[in-house]
Amino acid sequence: MNTTAKAIVWVVVLGVVAWAGYAMLGTPAEAPVAETVATSTAPVAVEPLKIGFIAPLSGDGASYGEMKRNVVMLAVEEINAAGGVNGRPLEVIYEDGKCSGKDATGAAQKLVNVDKVHFILGGFCSGESLAAIPVAEAGQAMMLSTGSSSPDLTSKSRFFVRDYPSDATQGEVLAKAAAAKGWKKVAMIQEQLDYPLGIFKAFSASFEALGGTVVKEEFPTSATDFRSMLTKLKAAKPDALFLNAQTPASGERVIKQLVDLKWKPKMLVNEAFVGDRATVEKYKDILEGALAAEFAVDPANTKFIALDQAYKAKFGVDMPFKSYGQTVYDGVYLAKEGLMAVGDDGVKLADWFRTVKDWQGASGTITIKPDGDRESGYSGEVVKDGKVEMMSMAPAATSTPQ
Amino acid sequence: MYIPYVDIVPQLIANSVIAGAIYALIALGFNLIYGTTKFFNLAHGAVAACGAYAVFAILKTFALPVNIVVACAIGAFVAGIIGYGLERLIYRPLRRRKASNMVLMVASLGAFTALQAFIAILFTSQFQALESSGGISGAIEIYGAIITHTQVVIITCGIAIMAILAFIAKYTLFGKAVSAIKDDEEVARMVGIDTDRIIGKVFFIGSAIAGVAGILIGFDTGIEPTMGMNLLLKGTIASIIGGVGSLYGGFLGAFVLGFAENFGIWKISGEWKDAIAFVVLIVFLLVRPEGIIKK
Repeated sequence: MNTTAKAIVWVVVLGVVAWAGYAMLGTPAEAPVAETVATSTAPVAVEPLKIGFIAPLSGDGASYGEMKRNVVMLAVEEINAAGGVNGRPLEVIYEDGKCSGKDATGAAQKLVNVDKVHFILGGFCSGESLAAIPVAEAGQAMMLSTGSSSPDLTSKSRFFVRDYPSDATQGEVLAKAAAAKGWKKVAMIQEQLDYPLGIFKAFSASFEALGGTVVKEEFPTSATDFRSMLTKLKAAKPDALFLNAQTPASGERVIKQLVDLKWKPKMLVNEAFVGDRATVEKYKDILEGALAAEFAVDPANTKFIALDQAYKAKFGVDMPFKSYGQTVYDGVYLAKEGLMAVGDDGVKLADWFRTVKDWQGASGTITIKPDGDRESGYSGEVVKDGKVEMMSMAPAATSTPQ
Repeated sequence: MYIPYVDIVPQLIANSVIAGAIYALIALGFNLIYGTTKFFNLAHGAVAACGAYAVFAILKTFALPVNIVVACAIGAFVAGIIGYGLERLIYRPLRRRKASNMVLMVASLGAFTALQAFIAILFTSQFQALESSGGISGAIEIYGAIITHTQVVIITCGIAIMAILAFIAKYTLFGKAVSAIKDDEEVARMVGIDTDRIIGKVFFIGSAIAGVAGILIGFDTGIEPTMGMNLLLKGTIASIIGGVGSLYGGFLGAFVLGFAENFGIWKISGEWKDAIAFVVLIVFLLVRPEGIIKK
């Protein structure tokens, strides 16, 4: 290497070191400054009750976080206008979790140690919640997530509860629907990833408890030839086939070979697949009558209608991510009831949330199980002529179908 | 009379034959190139994907009003040209510089990655279906086993290409020149064979066969830019267990692999399919490293 090249390399190295140093040392200076919003003009004598908030307010997840902040502001305004919590107005301290574990941990540190809150509405992303839980535990603060759905969060902590259902619960809903159809044996073809695995675990546990059996074949994401797996499953003579893939694309590959093999079983599909309506439409022949489950909004729910309209009136836009918005709204109201019932105490709040049963909210009936998860919430669906319709015998909590 | 396993064995045999034919199509082209140049052309898998995407571009992106057979022929030609281009632009200059086969293999890995990225940029990395509109569809049934018409074409092509290659190798001057280069490139050049031209032709033919494989697999299971790696792996395993560089060996190895995989997962779970393929490979490398057919 000649001298010029060496000089260039050194300049680059120094540049990288300087940049890295700046990034590390510079962060505290530009750390997000908490944005406190005085939400009420309550008498000065009354001390506001502070609660924490963690969601992505910047970065890729910002659109979720903004919606969440807007819904929280809306709900808190309503609550404070109606007298707050035992006369004390709620004050929310908004922190940016950036949908990252690292930032959510920092946010939780500040909320717990500086602001001394005992209740945190967050995180939003599963990664935020998983990372922030130890901090909240140490500070005896209770966390309520309105969006994290990873099955890893079930029974994660005494201080963690969520009103958004775990991905695992859709397995339960499907198992009940399958049993209601009189199916005794379900064959499952499952992609070897965490999300489909979580659904399998939940599905088989419930389905076997209901007297059914599950036979399963797993395939790696790279697989393209499913013929012999499908041949085996067909030879097992199941009542139905459960297509449990991570993405619509891998699901489509399986379906295509299913069609090739001229096997037309009754089918079950997961939320990730049925969420892609174009693929469902494309394979409507084989999917006719297929069962599915999604955590959907109930457009007939009066609380949901009120929230939807209030959001539009206040922010001038249609509420995005409605299935998440409804659980945020309910989360704030649940927090208010909890704070009124047991006061601003993390331990007592965590216990109180696990007593929530058949609570009527914008997202339907909420029951929190001892493991901290919301009971069901997924609605059973059925594919009819390429369209996804609500199942009339849905074991889900929502009221009458549209 | 109840015949045990009658509901599963015919279909498993059919699946094995289909898989074997697919692996054979890859292994035939791969072995042709390896036999002549003695290096592992890893770009072979990506060339197969190029053929499939060429047909996709003709039929879907531009929706040209061409017959499906014509489209496939163009696709195979495109793949052949890409293979030939790689030889001219990358491998030949490297050989001139007396680069070792290891260097050539690494260069082909680079070509593989570049081609794959190129496809992803042009056509997105989404999984796409390559379906024929009014062309080949439907299926036949043999003793309860379903084989689609696409798969019948795959099997027929596999056998036909093998037969044609065997004929060329045995009865044409070109075939004799190839086998001379196979034995010793230096000597071949000394006796007056234009080795560069022959190797260029070999790359064109081998890559066009890969293109046919990619196209047919596209019709059968669909296409995505990364499809090449899986094809390449199975094709190489097939040619190693059959006898690397040997025409019949690659063909035979492909069917051995197809049957081993599909019958292997009869009694154990299907997730072990790839593991079975590699176990077969390791067993062959240990017990019979020269493959089923000795050269």
